[in-house]
Amino acid sequence: MTDGPKKIIKDITKGFAKHGYICSEQIATAVFLASQLEKPILIEGPPGVGKTELANTAALYFKKDMIRLQCYEGLDESKALYEWRYGKQLLYTQILKEQMQEVLEGAKGLKESLDRLMKFEDIFFSEDFLETRPLLEALTSEKGSVLLIDEVDKSDEEFEALLLEILSEFQISIPELGVRKADIKPLVVLTSNNSREIGDALKRRCLHLYIPFPDAKLERQIVQARVPEISESMQIQLVNFVQGIRELDLKKLPAISETIDWAKTVILLNSEELDAKLAEDTLNVLLKHQQDIEVVKKEIPALVSSATETSDGKSLN
Amino acid sequence: MEKVLTDFVKALRNSNVRVSPAETIDAVSVVDSVGYDDKELLKRTLSIVLSKTPDEKDKFNACFDDFFSDEIKQQVSVDMDQLSDIKDVDSDLAKKLLEGSQGELMLSIADAAEEAEIREIRYFTQRSVFTRRILEKMGVGKLEDELMQLGSSREDELPSDLEQELRNQLTNLRERVSDYVQQQFLLHGDVSGEQLREQIFKSMNMAQIDRSYLNEVHSLVRKMAKKLANLHSRRKKNFKKGKLDIRKTIRDNWVNQGILFNLSWAYKKVDRPKIYVICDVSGSVGAYARFMLMFLFSLTEVVSKLRGFVFSSNLGEVTNDFKDAKLDEAIEKALQKHGGGSTDYGQALTDFVSLCLDEIDNKTTVVILGDARNNFGPEKAHLMKTIKERSKQVFWLNPEGKYRWDTGDSVMTKYSAYCTKVFQCGNIDQLERVVSTLLKTAI
Repeated sequence: MTDGPKKIIKDITKGFAKHGYICSEQIATAVFLASQLEKPILIEGPPGVGKTELANTAALYFKKDMIRLQCYEGLDESKALYEWRYGKQLLYTQILKEQMQEVLEGAKGLKESLDRLMKFEDIFFSEDFLETRPLLEALTSEKGSVLLIDEVDKSDEEFEALLLEILSEFQISIPELGVRKADIKPLVVLTSNNSREIGDALKRRCLHLYIPFPDAKLERQIVQARVPEISESMQIQLVNFVQGIRELDLKKLPAISETIDWAKTVILLNSEELDAKLAEDTLNVLLKHQQDIEVVKKEIPALVSSATETSDGKSLN
Repeated sequence: MEKVLTDFVKALRNSNVRVSPAETIDAVSVVDSVGYDDKELLKRTLSIVLSKTPDEKDKFNACFDDFFSDEIKQQVSVDMDQLSDIKDVDSDLAKKLLEGSQGELMLSIADAAEEAEIREIRYFTQRSVFTRRILEKMGVGKLEDELMQLGSSREDELPSDLEQELRNQLTNLRERVSDYVQQQFLLHGDVSGEQLREQIFKSMNMAQIDRSYLNEVHSLVRKMAKKLANLHSRRKKNFKKGKLDIRKTIRDNWVNQGILFNLSWAYKKVDRPKIYVICDVSGSVGAYARFMLMFLFSLTEVVSKLRGFVFSSNLGEVTNDFKDAKLDEAIEKALQKHGGGSTDYGQALTDFVSLCLDEIDNKTTVVILGDARNNFGPEKAHLMKTIKERSKQVFWLNPEGKYRWDTGDSVMTKYSAYCTKVFQCGNIDQLERVVSTLLKTAI
């Protein structure tokens, strides 16, 4: 190893920032460890904090193929691992029938026919008829790949068990063909929204990264990177406002993606200053439940005043 | 260096972070590449490798800070240069105390502790034993002898500077070792005594659990309930998948000359189980009802239709209280409103029948918790018969030991004649078993 881990982590932070993903040290460390140990990372956190985006950016940063598998209830191996091309296999048996005549011509007795049949090369179950699905594709990718298994918690428990072999050994056993092993181990990222507890067996095999809502400083950087057109004072006010909302007791707290959407909305509306009216008009960008909107509406004056107040006092950096 | 790490893992396990050996190996290999130099980096790294839920992350952070806190308490000591007679002391320990730096002293404490097998410390009562043992290993005995000699050899009443200093240092040392033991105990011992306590709670008679432990018991009950919920939700899921309905398939495919072309699946099992719980909350069994309700309402995940009733003489429904308010508050409220007073099973059954007999059908399980001590009132067992006939099953849980059934004013046999099953349910272990049976048969 030529570079110290600290340098690599710094490089990752910088490299990710270049692709528009501002990550905390914790996240950068996790990415570093995942590539160092060749272990999958399980990312948990509230929706909209950039779990999926992390995988996308990692693919860009490491210059690897991005392969995504969206999980849902009922997802099974024929959709995730591999499938046989039944149509082609049927055609193959048609051809085989004709060939068979030639092979068996002149054979005397059942035994001799059987012997010849045994010598006949059979490719019914072979690479040629194998349709790869995301997981197998990630293992066979020549450049190496970043495999994103999105929202594992949505899949069934059986599917989780299926993942175990792939995640720990980076191999898939296909009963008809044997074990397929990865030449270049993919970087695996799993995300979960915790709609159900992930099994211990799976957790044990993964590194675990929890991404919480960002603090004000990090969120400002993120907004700056994603919506560079926004003015500095506006950006500070928006972030402060959102941070204030997160203190309230809401059904769904606004995440970073909502803050970014809101910043874009504000740009579209050409507003220079955050005031109560603007906040009230655009609240539906931030909040997705009517109840939440009603709760926040009452608090708007206080939130706006504290958001603008703090922004006057200190400037960025 | 691996020893430090394995010790840390042990400390983590103690604070309830579950770490597997495989994860420990991971941790070792990460630390190899990251190193111990940067504490923040080390913390971030280990946090990713070792802790796997947000809750565990919090515990990890606290434990890490404790474990790697290297602050050595600065203690006031007399300036050594003033003591000219250092050379007069013999024992190693005394020399170390007078000459050595704080760091060296800490090191020798750690060495002695190692020898004394401090890692084996389990209970807080062992602290003084270990403190003594460490001091002995460090050679305190010799120092004490020397102090005795110094004391006896002096002519005037005032002890010499040297003696005074040594005595001070010795007191300091004692304090320091006991601090050290305390710290080690926090890391290695069963600090909260949790495992021990859980075991005791589980097998203890529920009525005898002191109210001050309610919180602990509550979290224990919740843990057990979660386990059961996990077990049974999985089973429930399997129902959903459906099964090949062969008869229907053959019938439907008659038109295809009997070739099974269109498969038909057996319908999902649409089952709406209902559980009605009736708890006696009179003075004698109120404590049991508390745990019963606690357990059942922690299970709302799996049991969607659960209604709770409590009575001492008159019956009242508490379902909504449990749905809205917090568990503790709901239980307190229920006990306050209906608790105390003398029991009247006859009246309670009459109330229950008039209140919801119509809703009881062949998917309903009725659970009654009580000691069947009826104060010699009319037992109205025929009502039990009516309930039994309409429902799927009736369970009776009696917190009293079997030998006490039917003694005094208990009319257990009269009721048990109309029960599908009767359980003795005096401690949490038994309660868990009962609830497990209940879930198995009711859903």
